[in-house]
Amino acid sequence: MEEAKPVHDIDILLVDDEADFRVVIAKRLGRRGIRVHEAPGGEEALRLLEETPLDVVVMDIKMPGMSGIDALRRIKERHPVAEVILLTGHANTQDGVDGIKSGAFDYLSKPVELEHLIRKITQAHNKIGRFRSARQEAEFRERVKQQMVVAERLVALGTMASGVAHEINNPLAIIQDAAGWLRQILAKPEMEDMPRRGDFEKALDRIHNAVQRARVVTHQLLQVVRTQSTELSDPTRMRAVDLKQLVEESISLVESEAESKGIKILVESAEPPPSAWTDPYQLLQVLLNLLANSIQATGAGGRITIALRASLEEAKVEVNDTGSGISKENLNRIFEPFFTTKGVGEGTGMGLYVSWGIVSKLGGLIAVESQVGQGSTFTITLPVKR
Amino acid sequence: MAETPSQILLVDDEADFVEMLSLRLKEIGESVLSAFSGGECLKILAKTDIDVVILDVKMPGMNGVETLAEIKKAHPLVEVIMLTGHGTIETALEGMKLGAYDLLIKPADFHELIEKLNNARRRKQEQLERIRNAQAALQ
Repeated sequence: MEEAKPVHDIDILLVDDEADFRVVIAKRLGRRGIRVHEAPGGEEALRLLEETPLDVVVMDIKMPGMSGIDALRRIKERHPVAEVILLTGHANTQDGVDGIKSGAFDYLSKPVELEHLIRKITQAHNKIGRFRSARQEAEFRERVKQQMVVAERLVALGTMASGVAHEINNPLAIIQDAAGWLRQILAKPEMEDMPRRGDFEKALDRIHNAVQRARVVTHQLLQVVRTQSTELSDPTRMRAVDLKQLVEESISLVESEAESKGIKILVESAEPPPSAWTDPYQLLQVLLNLLANSIQATGAGGRITIALRASLEEAKVEVNDTGSGISKENLNRIFEPFFTTKGVGEGTGMGLYVSWGIVSKLGGLIAVESQVGQGSTFTITLPVKR
Repeated sequence: MAETPSQILLVDDEADFVEMLSLRLKEIGESVLSAFSGGECLKILAKTDIDVVILDVKMPGMNGVETLAEIKKAHPLVEVIMLTGHGTIETALEGMKLGAYDLLIKPADFHELIEKLNNARRRKQEQLERIRNAQAALQ
């Protein structure tokens, strides 16, 4: 007799109230590389599927207790990806048709011909495989599309913001020099006895401080746009950077702050430590910004983990915290300029925007994943080689 | 304060800015002339002795770099400080290559401006000195 080819690596659930039947089928399928998990009825099958998700279920339609059709409906409800092959009594076509209407992959009538069953199991298994890879591809496309939408929006916002910053810088210079001129006049000896001199000085102080504040914001905004308009920052500052060393340097700068809040910072690095082709000063700026955010979002006893990974082409720096997390609606806007959830005076909403600008310019990507109440992970991906 | 008496020319299309900055400079005893375009700047240079030009990069018509090139062609000893917005630093750097003495980012700190102004003046004096020495050596 010709040996049939073994079918590899499929797990199925066989549901039948007849123990002898299960044992025989399990043994014969097992020889062909199909691992069989067994359940004597619908209830047990559902329980088992909760513990061990299996893709293909082969199930008798006539069982005491929960019927095969009911069990099928409940399986499809809870595990929509799973495929169910029903076994019907001899020549009972109506049962099989009812089963397919309720979502069964197909039906086979007893007595079951083994090759036929294996073919059906393989078909169901392949269908699930195709469905999974299509879904993965769709998810991947959706992610890429979203990233592109975000990037386009950031560039558009940046262009607008820089236009505004330019327009504001000129009047800002006028305000600064007008106030500066008044200060110079106040400093003249003949002005020494001017009435309400203190009030004038106070007001000039406030003008000066406000101009400085506005100046910082316009400079940050224009820095991002400037970095976008040039291919790479300063090519002479690009070099192979030991990421572990740089990460440790960044940690040493924020360690005391983290310690005072009772937060631990850990480094997990691949060996040998990955390196990236980048500008260490700019990358340090990004790391410090991410760490500051994480420390701010994380409560006492929390943990920040920086993981370093590398492949031939890319190096990844993941900054993960156990902080408050970011809500879904904020996640999409987090890299926008001026977007902040912090109070007035606590944040300008420029940190992540500037970081995004720097990483893009360094030829990399920055992305975020987060779950409210569980924490956030920022991932920087950088090229390994020039 | 000016180390030696000298003439400054301030060039920017933003009239209020030119007015305020020149008032500040005059307040510390500087002698300042104003121009509101590259063309006007060149006209003043043609008939007045100027030591240092403070020149905005972004102007309608003839821009700062074009103006700079013309200045250096006709008056190579005049020192130029480029005044730039943060977004046009590359342009200002280009100006440095064309012979500008230094650049300042708007809104610039007044004390920084004075410092650069003094350095520019000093360089011009040193250049003149060298030329005088060279001429004396030739005779």
